[in-house]
Amino acid sequence: MSTAERDPADPAIRFDHASVVYPSGVKGLDGVDLSIERGQLVVVVGLSGAGKSTLLRSINGLVQLTGGDVLVEGRSVRRSRGAALRALRARVGMIFQDHRLVKRLSVLTNVLLGRVARVPVWRQVLGLWPRADVDIALQALERVGLRDRAGVRASQLSGGQQQRVGIARALAQEPGVVLADEPVASLDPMTSHRVMQDLQRINRDLSITTLVNLHFLDLAKRYAQRIVGLRQGAVVYDGPADEVGEADFAQIYGRSMTAEDVLEGFGAR
Amino acid sequence: MSVVGRARRHLTLGALVLALAAMTAWSADGVGFAPGELLANLGKLRRIVGDSFPPDWGFWHRLLSPFLETLQIAVVGSVLGGLLALPLAILAARGVSPSPTISWIHRQAMNLLRTMPDLFWAMLFASAVGFGAFAGALALTVFTVAVVSKLLSESAESIDFGLTEAVRAGGGGWSSTVRFAVVPQILPQYVSYVLYAFEINVRASTVLGLVGAGGIGMVLNTQRTTFQYQRVTLIVLAIFLVVVVLEQISEAARRRLV
Repeated sequence: MSTAERDPADPAIRFDHASVVYPSGVKGLDGVDLSIERGQLVVVVGLSGAGKSTLLRSINGLVQLTGGDVLVEGRSVRRSRGAALRALRARVGMIFQDHRLVKRLSVLTNVLLGRVARVPVWRQVLGLWPRADVDIALQALERVGLRDRAGVRASQLSGGQQQRVGIARALAQEPGVVLADEPVASLDPMTSHRVMQDLQRINRDLSITTLVNLHFLDLAKRYAQRIVGLRQGAVVYDGPADEVGEADFAQIYGRSMTAEDVLEGFGAR
Repeated sequence: MSVVGRARRHLTLGALVLALAAMTAWSADGVGFAPGELLANLGKLRRIVGDSFPPDWGFWHRLLSPFLETLQIAVVGSVLGGLLALPLAILAARGVSPSPTISWIHRQAMNLLRTMPDLFWAMLFASAVGFGAFAGALALTVFTVAVVSKLLSESAESIDFGLTEAVRAGGGGWSSTVRFAVVPQILPQYVSYVLYAFEINVRASTVLGLVGAGGIGMVLNTQRTTFQYQRVTLIVLAIFLVVVVLEQISEAARRRLV
């Protein structure tokens, strides 16, 4: 996993005719070709079931491709197994809608989980994290403004704070790519903006390639540089965020926009 | 519900009750169940009860060290068995185990342990290491593994697998997943199951004493076979007291955990 092997000319992520057919026969991805340049913040929009989650999960191999390939910094996900797959995943941080923190463990330990690929297993099992890794975890917490909460149990935090710990965990991986799967779907409007701002700041400050799945179109337009629209597992829109209009959204969604498609629509409720 | 439906349900219920009655009668006949016998020997029973009272209070000081031994057997069996049960349960749990084959093998091992009664293990170890407390402790170790691993692997199968996925997504291997996503989720149940096994073990180690595995059960058996019924009464009362007190403590601890 030396950095020398990585060619900086490779795009951060390249989908090469990537397809996923689930055992039920449902097509998750249908021959997607897509190239994400390094340092971009891309928001993926689409109805639920359009394949947004499948697209993100095929990047770190949580969902297995049934056709084509995905290259992360030039390395094939499909051909990576065992240690190679773990090394690839270590370069890709993931943020989940439901935070996925281990509630009984401390905030710091949860962030240290971003170091599992870099620390020997015996040290993890005994809880003997190297000082350098603890420092990386604390810095990641600092970035999301929660360093002073490092010692408390994760269950003591609010939903928004838990999501920011989730971001810190991804950052602790020192990743090249961050994937965020509907990171604000269970948060109120104000917290949603806070989380999106954190993601945007991290993308800018650390030039980490960031892919975010969102349902809310106004959030997508506000924070993305580029918007990719998915419908039935295929890319139906791809363009700069400031050029996307209502007609494009209608094409992606297959219907006109409703109050439920914008965040403030929820906020006014 | 329609009238026809209700009638059919009554009919099914009636058939079930009849079948149950027939089965009971058949089984009672098989075991030679004879209420007359019991009534005819009521006098003998009354004599034994008469001989049992009052309890021989003076005998109490001879119970202390056997009781201690019984508790020691239970503690050793529970702790050793508890420690062995954790890896077994994790390797057996579907979705947690590294592979379906490994899971299957360990589930069969658990089944085998569970099919054999604790008395069988006591006899087996007694013939291996000789009659005494050590054999009892080994038997209860196996018994504890059987009980705790079964319950625990079921808990492990119903954890939130979102967390294991999160650890894997960060590049974690199987060990990291177990350490941070599985064990923290089953820890409260684990401690609770071991305490539960300890409660059973205190009672079981008494029974094991009857077959020569040391402790209070052995004293009970000696006194019974020499017709010292007043001492037997004292022992039974003491066992009752100890078991109830330990159960209360253990239950209180378990309630606080889950």
